Amino acid sequence: MTGTLNLVGYGLAAIGPGLAVGMIFSAYINGVARQPEARSVLQPIAFLGFAMAEALALFGLVLAFVL
Amino acid sequence: MRSMYSFLAEGDEFVPPSSRDFVLPPIFGDNPYSTKPIFLVFLSVILLSLFFVMASRKAAIVPSKMQFAGETVYAYVRNELGRDIIGHEFMRFVPYLFSLFTFILVNNWFGIIPMLQFPTMSRISFAYVLGIITFAVFHYVGIRHHGIIKYLKDILFMPGVPKPVYILLTPIEVATYLIVRPLTLSLRLFANMFAGHLLLMIFILGGEHLLQGAITLKLVSPFAFAFGIALTFFEFLVQCLQAYIFTLLTALYIGGALADEH
Amino acid sequence: MSRNNEGAAWTILGYLLSGPLFWGGVGYGLDTWLGTGYFLASGLLLGMGAALYLVWLRFGR
Repeated sequence: MTGTLNLVGYGLAAIGPGLAVGMIFSAYINGVARQPEARSVLQPIAFLGFAMAEALALFGLVLAFVL
Repeated sequence: MRSMYSFLAEGDEFVPPSSRDFVLPPIFGDNPYSTKPIFLVFLSVILLSLFFVMASRKAAIVPSKMQFAGETVYAYVRNELGRDIIGHEFMRFVPYLFSLFTFILVNNWFGIIPMLQFPTMSRISFAYVLGIITFAVFHYVGIRHHGIIKYLKDILFMPGVPKPVYILLTPIEVATYLIVRPLTLSLRLFANMFAGHLLLMIFILGGEHLLQGAITLKLVSPFAFAFGIALTFFEFLVQCLQAYIFTLLTALYIGGALADEH
Repeated sequence: MSRNNEGAAWTILGYLLSGPLFWGGVGYGLDTWLGTGYFLASGLLLGMGAALYLVWLRFGR
């Protein structure tokens, strides 16, 4: 069996951002469901949070290939 | 590894399917253009034309079953993907979106239709071509709508930023519009079809291999086949989803190119 | 704007990919040219930072 451990590491590193993205959007959906008029306030925050969490996952992706 | 396999299976060592299994030999002689995916593409075009000609030929107010099926797909693409995303000029793009959606959908379905069982889009060239067409369409539309200078200015310079920061941001915008968008579009489709086909091959071939082993392994093999069947249904879902996402993103990009401000 | 937000997640993903790809690529080129080892990492960080800034410009304001 051949392969690189980088990809296993990337798989492990993707768990955190995966959970984070799920939690961010669950909170966003909860907020909008409780108070629909808060949508325009919550949307930028949700997308920025999504971007932050996703950035970490993409770091893992890039570093898995680079290192 | 070898010893473990020989303990598990009496016959030959199990050769897991790999990317080599996607390179199919030519059907007619040595002609490299007569491989299975090419014929599948032609078949999909013939099937689609037949279906939609049949569905629309005897259009009536009370639709036949076939007309109803055709109209459902058409109305879905026109309303959900065209009107809701592109906006008021959507009718110009509905033919493209509709052909794209049905073409990808049928070609993906070939992955699970018995006797055919090869998703065309798991050969990356087909996905690249579709990505390039979408790329050309949305840039052409944007340039026609805004004029080339304003279009480029919209892409390159995000408003409300101090001038030196453009050195940092403009390359990213260019890379996004010119490379990342068409590339991720085709790679997403390709990777999903490729991985799905690989997954099905592993379970079906693995089950078949278990069937040739000792009696205990023969008892296990139905589970592998059952998983294979369950994954076939899952794969059906993924195939519809990928056709939808490709068309959705095409519509989004066209809508973005037509939008008056970013 | 509100209609285009449907594709926000995809747009964000595109920016976050191309930022590190471009500036990381520049860093990688500098590294192989000059024989150093730190341009790649700083290029990746710079690209990711710039991409996040771009996301904030487009969706956060």
